[in-house]
Amino acid sequence: MRLNLGAASAARERVSAATRNEWYWAWGMIAPTIIGLVVLNIVPIFQTMYMSFFKSGAFGKGNTYIGLENYRRLLADAQVLYATRNTLVYMVCVVLITTVLALLLAVALGGRIKGKGTYRTIYFIPMVATPAAVTLIWRWLYNYRFGLLNHMLSSLGITPVDWIDNPNAAMLSIAMVGIWSTVGYSMVLLIAGLQEIPRDYYEAAQIDGAKPVRQFLHITLPLVSPTLFFVLVTSVIAAMQVFDIVYMMIGVTSPSYDATVSLVYLFYNNSFKYSNKGYGSAIIMILLAMILLITAVQQRLQKKWVNYM
Amino acid sequence: MRTKLISLLLSMVMLLSLCATAAYAEAQPVTITYACWDSNQAALLQTVADEFHAANPNITIDIQVNGWSDYWTALEAAATGGSLPDTFWMHSNNIYYYGANNQLMDLSDYIAKSDLVDLNNFPEGLNAIYNIDGKQYAVPKDYDTIALWYNKTLFDAAGINYPDDTWTWDDLRAAAKALTKADGSQYGFCAGLHNQEGYYNFVYQNGGQIITADKKSGYDQDATIAGVKEYFSYVWEGLSPAIYDDKARGEAIQNGLCAMGLFGSWNLSGFAANDFMKANFDCAVLPAGPDGIRSSIFNGLGNAISATCAHPDEAWMWVEYLSTEAGQKRQAELGIAISAFNGTADAWTAAYTGFNVKCYIDMVAYAQIRPYSNQTSIWEDKAYELLKGAYAGTDDLTAACTNVASRMNDALMAE
Repeated sequence: MRLNLGAASAARERVSAATRNEWYWAWGMIAPTIIGLVVLNIVPIFQTMYMSFFKSGAFGKGNTYIGLENYRRLLADAQVLYATRNTLVYMVCVVLITTVLALLLAVALGGRIKGKGTYRTIYFIPMVATPAAVTLIWRWLYNYRFGLLNHMLSSLGITPVDWIDNPNAAMLSIAMVGIWSTVGYSMVLLIAGLQEIPRDYYEAAQIDGAKPVRQFLHITLPLVSPTLFFVLVTSVIAAMQVFDIVYMMIGVTSPSYDATVSLVYLFYNNSFKYSNKGYGSAIIMILLAMILLITAVQQRLQKKWVNYM
Repeated sequence: MRTKLISLLLSMVMLLSLCATAAYAEAQPVTITYACWDSNQAALLQTVADEFHAANPNITIDIQVNGWSDYWTALEAAATGGSLPDTFWMHSNNIYYYGANNQLMDLSDYIAKSDLVDLNNFPEGLNAIYNIDGKQYAVPKDYDTIALWYNKTLFDAAGINYPDDTWTWDDLRAAAKALTKADGSQYGFCAGLHNQEGYYNFVYQNGGQIITADKKSGYDQDATIAGVKEYFSYVWEGLSPAIYDDKARGEAIQNGLCAMGLFGSWNLSGFAANDFMKANFDCAVLPAGPDGIRSSIFNGLGNAISATCAHPDEAWMWVEYLSTEAGQKRQAELGIAISAFNGTADAWTAAYTGFNVKCYIDMVAYAQIRPYSNQTSIWEDKAYELLKGAYAGTDDLTAACTNVASRMNDALMAE
């Protein structure tokens, strides 16, 4: 690259008032979002990082500096280990099943069937409902004695399952609610991605005599991979932060607490219930590190399987 | 460009004028927020709030309800953010935490100046809870004890005599055994994982302690462990279902699943509105422990005002209204809770003629104040977490209690 300073300064002089005016308008338009992002998201990240080196005092006053003590305690805490395991298990289950289901649904609802719009709306509605309301209703569905699910199971002759208080079943219950509420969103994104694929490829394949399954594997999958990549990355980030589903369904006294507590829920309990915001901040820093690592790995793998046309 | 500037200026002027009128409108009538954690009581308190508003038209009371476990979390977040509700319920668990950290308004001057509120009319024990270093931070509102509720219909069907004041632990266990059906459709007793409406009573009936006078944990005392064991054994032996959720305990007796259960006097308004309870249930004093010791956990709430309240005089008018003899009597008549004002408890008894609620007041004579320290919530919830394994029968109880004691002592030392 040759440094052509003469040309550069000439270029600078050629920026007219009109162009500069456009720039100002552009900054003005994105300013609210950027300011909101910085003030509400970026700055708190650094404040939390700062907080993780302190032991919090009463009502936010009198914080004492304790260095890496919170992190040392974290490494020895069994509950943090459980929370990490639970969060990762939840993430893997939910992201895999949601993405596969969403892709199949998108393919099914992308074709020519009656009532396509209605089906798409039905699948998307869970996203519109408040997570707290959704969880409360599911909690009643899961109720051991009076819930609808166990009622249906017992009418079929199967013994009722303790969906919430049984540690073995609890993770499954949480995952079901998580999948149910996010399938719609992934599906809509994938429908959009599918519509970008030119029809010609399918027609050519049909002429060559390819069956639908082959078409799916060799045309649809490679060409929808950019959208699929986006869905995977955002689903992973969202799933790692699961909180409201676990918080509203499983309390601290439940026997399945250790089997389902997620990192954010543990952070909430430590920061607000047990008034130890420094320890909570340390926990959330670990979560941040994990999400960054996983996303970085996904970005690296992108080159291997994502085809940008 | 100039037209753009003019339109921008005009819109800003309009916006500012809107804000100004809004601010002026708020200066006249005052809204006082009142936070509490019991939706049954809140519904009845609304009547009192409406009567107060009728007497003081410029003050409106806004009652905000948050469930018990969320109330303190939300209150602390509000306190840290400087936006506490104007008035709210205070509890022995957290009075020191809030009072000593300047979150509550010192009411001593208001009380001294008021003709209507005199602390001598309240039980001394309750006044003492809300008094820190000579400053009164809350005015007592009510008190409550725990009683034994039993299903008369099921007792009649099994031919067992109703619980009375001669009952001991053995009588309770025998009745529970007789009332438990082998197919799991009916249990004799509802022993949920709860402290105040559960094992605390058994601990003190056995002569144990949860917290000693010199602020150490009593969980590792033999008498305490034996008391908890007696309570948990109902679950281990199948005489009670394992219930972890607070609301589910009430549901268990209201659905006919359990024949007996321990419930505090604050449940009365909910029970009295429930047809099943009205038709089938009654209450009695708690049974005595093996050495004849009687005990029931006793606590009293207080009304406090936040230190950062924008309208302290109006907030005090509301708290004063709730604390006068007339106000306390009114609350008792409505059946909200057993009013703390001396002599008004009978009005509460009269509000619930369908049940033997006098037993709640009888137990005050030997009641044990609910165990508390400067920051009770921290070790209380942790105790649940550590005991639930033993409750389910998977952990050893002695080891669990010792664990609770050591964590509790850590928390007490950090206070």
